[in-house]
Amino acid sequence: MSLRVLNPNAEVLNKSAALHMNINAAKGLQDVLKTNLGPKGTIKMLVGGAGDIKLTKDGNTLLKEMQIQNPTAIMIARTAVAQDDISGDGTTSTVIFIGELMKQSERCIDEGMHPRVLVDGFEIAKRATLQFLEKFKTPVVMGDEPDKEILKMVARTTLRTKLYESLADQLTDIVVNAVSALSVLCIRKPEEAIDLFMVELMHMRHKFDVDTRLVEGLVLDHGSRHPDMKRRAENCYILTCNVSLEYEKSEVNAGFFYSNAEQREAMVAAERRQVDEKVRRIIELKNKVCSGNDNNFVVINQKGIDPPSLDLLARAGIIALRRAKRRNMERLVLACGGEAVNSVDDLTPGCLGWAGLVYEHVLGEEKYTFVENVKNPHSCTILIKGPNDHTIAQIKDAVRDGLRAVKNTIEDEAVVLGAGAFEVAARQYLVNEVKKTVEGRAQLGVEAFADALLVVPKTLAENAGLDTQDVIIALKGEHDRGNIVGLNQHSGDPIDPLMEGIFDNYSVKRQIINSGPVIASQLLLVDEVIRAGRNMRKPT
Amino acid sequence: MLQDSFQATSRQPICFQVYPITIRIRRITLVPVYWLAAMREIVTVQVGGFANFIGSHFWNFQDELLGLASDPNNDPVFRNQCLNMDVLYRTGETQQGVLTYTPRLVSVGFQGSLGSMSSRGVLYNESSPGPSDVVTWSGSVSTHASAPHKKNLFLQRLYEEEQESFSMINGTSSGKSDSQREIQDKGIVELLDNHVEFWTDFSKVHYHPQSLYELGGLWMDPQDFDNYGIGKDAFSEGFRGEEICERLRFFVEESDHIQGFQFVVDDSGGFSAVAADLLENIADEYANTPVLLFAVRSPSSQMNLRSRKQTIFRELHDTVSFSRLASFSKLIVPVGLPFLSESKASTFLRIENEKPYHCSAVYAAALHSATLPYRMEPVGPTADSFDVSGAVDINGFVQMLAGQARQNTVAILDAAMPAPALNGKQHEQSLLGNLQPLTPEVSEDVEDLQAVESMIIHGALRSDGRRASISEVKETVNAIYGHAITRPMFCHLSVARCPLPIPLPYPSIFGNLVGQYGELLNSPFVGSSPRGSLEVHSIPMAVRLRSSSAILPFLENRLGNLRRYGLQRGALGAELLRNWGFADDELYDMGEMLSKMVSTMKPHSEISSDSD
Repeated sequence: MSLRVLNPNAEVLNKSAALHMNINAAKGLQDVLKTNLGPKGTIKMLVGGAGDIKLTKDGNTLLKEMQIQNPTAIMIARTAVAQDDISGDGTTSTVIFIGELMKQSERCIDEGMHPRVLVDGFEIAKRATLQFLEKFKTPVVMGDEPDKEILKMVARTTLRTKLYESLADQLTDIVVNAVSALSVLCIRKPEEAIDLFMVELMHMRHKFDVDTRLVEGLVLDHGSRHPDMKRRAENCYILTCNVSLEYEKSEVNAGFFYSNAEQREAMVAAERRQVDEKVRRIIELKNKVCSGNDNNFVVINQKGIDPPSLDLLARAGIIALRRAKRRNMERLVLACGGEAVNSVDDLTPGCLGWAGLVYEHVLGEEKYTFVENVKNPHSCTILIKGPNDHTIAQIKDAVRDGLRAVKNTIEDEAVVLGAGAFEVAARQYLVNEVKKTVEGRAQLGVEAFADALLVVPKTLAENAGLDTQDVIIALKGEHDRGNIVGLNQHSGDPIDPLMEGIFDNYSVKRQIINSGPVIASQLLLVDEVIRAGRNMRKPT
Repeated sequence: MLQDSFQATSRQPICFQVYPITIRIRRITLVPVYWLAAMREIVTVQVGGFANFIGSHFWNFQDELLGLASDPNNDPVFRNQCLNMDVLYRTGETQQGVLTYTPRLVSVGFQGSLGSMSSRGVLYNESSPGPSDVVTWSGSVSTHASAPHKKNLFLQRLYEEEQESFSMINGTSSGKSDSQREIQDKGIVELLDNHVEFWTDFSKVHYHPQSLYELGGLWMDPQDFDNYGIGKDAFSEGFRGEEICERLRFFVEESDHIQGFQFVVDDSGGFSAVAADLLENIADEYANTPVLLFAVRSPSSQMNLRSRKQTIFRELHDTVSFSRLASFSKLIVPVGLPFLSESKASTFLRIENEKPYHCSAVYAAALHSATLPYRMEPVGPTADSFDVSGAVDINGFVQMLAGQARQNTVAILDAAMPAPALNGKQHEQSLLGNLQPLTPEVSEDVEDLQAVESMIIHGALRSDGRRASISEVKETVNAIYGHAITRPMFCHLSVARCPLPIPLPYPSIFGNLVGQYGELLNSPFVGSSPRGSLEVHSIPMAVRLRSSSAILPFLENRLGNLRRYGLQRGALGAELLRNWGFADDELYDMGEMLSKMVSTMKPHSEISSDSD
């Protein structure tokens, strides 16, 4: 109220108008994302003003591409994107769940219910659902080695919602193998989380998407910069280092302080010698380990290597790559063994890694270096090929989600039955068991929450072109008979997700159940919306 | 292999296929490249809206120079520029094997700020895919197309001429008379003057697909992205920073021996935080590579301060932005006057303050000139060529201006646009008089015995209208300083014969005292309309970077504002700074840094240094 006095131009929406603005925004966002959900959803092609194309089936990517203006919608979008950051998936589900909660609330409020009561009901239902989820989840035992079958089922469930079936199945194996290689390390050291960054995603604009493959080893997006270095070498020692091999003018002696040309030349030569000395130390090590055999020697450096140094290395028969990505330094060590060296003083044969094959692949101005046939790869590369950038980007998004799904499963040590089975089971639980224990009108809040859960199977059915009423009735019936079933997207009949191998991530589901009602409650409890110019939204 | 021929001995030109004809407005992109042992690359980084406007003009100048150099019918001064474009440009090759020559540039802008230009450029695109070929999904596809940005008349002309040149290579030619062209040119100049919305509207340069990065997923209007706090997480969130650094690495990796980064940052809003985070990353990754930073802002970003709260807001932003950027760069040059059109720097210009297209043109010209020394072909430490003199690399530049006894890393940019004729005693003062600051908040007429300057003069004319030779310019400048009352401690002079060419899409900002070759006339042209690229073909330029105590007001204002609004007990902006993510000790360090900057510039610093 005081704000209105202070700023007479402020536009104020009263309680019911504010509520309806929020509900409409939530519904609007739901409508946009709804068609994305599930393996029968619609892929969206976004064409920008300059003709740039983006392809996405992923709610997260879609939200980021949208120019959202409505503050309520932004709030929901932020929650959904945070969902993706935390658990790697479930953006679309979060948005449609929030939208559905608001829709159900609208019905109740129109019948005269106070939002506060609804919110109380939501809170009770949320807690009960989370408890139910604990009972409902399927534990996965992680022994010394993760059970690949279950990991594959989870990854396949995710990937099939983003890519067509055979491509999804192909990527499933790739994704599971990549994370399994990594997770062997983490099982040895359980205190460390799985670092998915150790799986490199590299792409080539080339040929067709079925060429996407797992490289057990590393693919770097650059090559050697010297014409005389080998383009292909077998049995290679790999030196991973972070040593500058370029001549840097030392700070004190800037060029114009020299009194004559000879003095300058002398200084340059002296500084050049220091660089050459470092190169010589590397060559010494090469000669030591490669003498008497025909093994090769590859230097992969995070810092620069200038042409004279490259020349020296090339003459010694060494392949050298400069300016490697910082993360590749870690990945190389995980893939090839050895350790990263920060100074030439630390050079020993012990710090060298090993790769059976190193070769270069050139596409136009783009060069790729493959480091393959490594002994015990804990870090590997998923090489994505696609005919154009938007296809590559979409596959990359899907692979990222697949990796997250596998990682989540290993960390959760549990999965949840998919295809809408959990949502229907939870709904029946809330209506049949929880509602009775709640007193007063909060019951209606629990019921609204329970009905909102059904949005997932409903949307799945809708996207598959099925009759939602029939589907929901059939599913509810089976659940009442004690059968846990999900939706068959082809026929509309109930199926057992366990038999079909449709599993969702436990942590994703929990996160959705957690964050959805929180945002919905906040939006329902808004009393007034005051719009007083741009500066309202800025932190002050 | 092109990329591989770098040996010191190889001075052979690598033969390219050069188009047999000149394209008039988009200068051809292929030029013969000479690999020189001493060539050292620069990566340019532009961050923010106004920075990209300046960049667009800057690259237009380079493109114009490239085109003029390859046209045998041109003034010889353009053919022997002795500028090494490879310092700023890279040679590449598309998957189809077509050679390309594009700026070594990373540009960061707001999503949607590219207008009708595709972020991937056009050089590397294969046939554009039809909407039907979604190969990754067998289900239904829905297409959401935003209304296409229409290419304006100028961009259409560029496209047509390019098509035309290809067909002419193939033997057919389309007949368009010169008079038709002239009419079209007039239309284009008028159109651009009134309808420039995006920086791409007047750009005639082809960019590499890695160059243009759009900051997406922020869910706000560009005009809301206007302070340090709002931009602080934009870099780190959602892989944005990673993507920008990757693109930078792409250009650094292929450089044999990078001499430095050249930053142009629009520090008037959230982009200054983005740039600061990027710089922090660079300091980490490329520790010994110097960064030269131009902190630019448009006049319009400095108007409309209504309330006291907004004033505090703005001043704290300025302080924070400056100190963060300064702490990561070897040399920082603040550029951007609040009232450019009324300033002395635009005595001979007609600028409209509210048009970024106009203002950026002035700053771009000054930036082009100021960056000439590290693009000149070095002939040797002592010898001078006929066309250029005074080559310095970025490191040399930084050492000269910031590395002397005072270690002052903030430089002032002065420009004389166009530079006056150099001859006759009566004009001697006019060169120094015409050099007016483009850096805001500097004091005039300070006597600083420790000042260090780097002056760059190119394309200078004598009063008879002929181009002055290198030695004439040197002698004149020597004479000027010989007679001057206040002299800097040290002045480095770089001279080039090649003037600043005015490309067609340059705005009409010249007053009626500026002649066709940028000479200053004694009697004005009749008519009051400003003169543009059709009337003025090139101009001589003089700019000066100086490290002088004239910068003191700029520094003291920032230090004062930080103390008043941020550090004092119960300061009005303390809460705001906390929201921006600054802890108390960070602010204290910031204050310490600023007061150190101030005290080094004070003439008697050892006495007046206070320990606050």
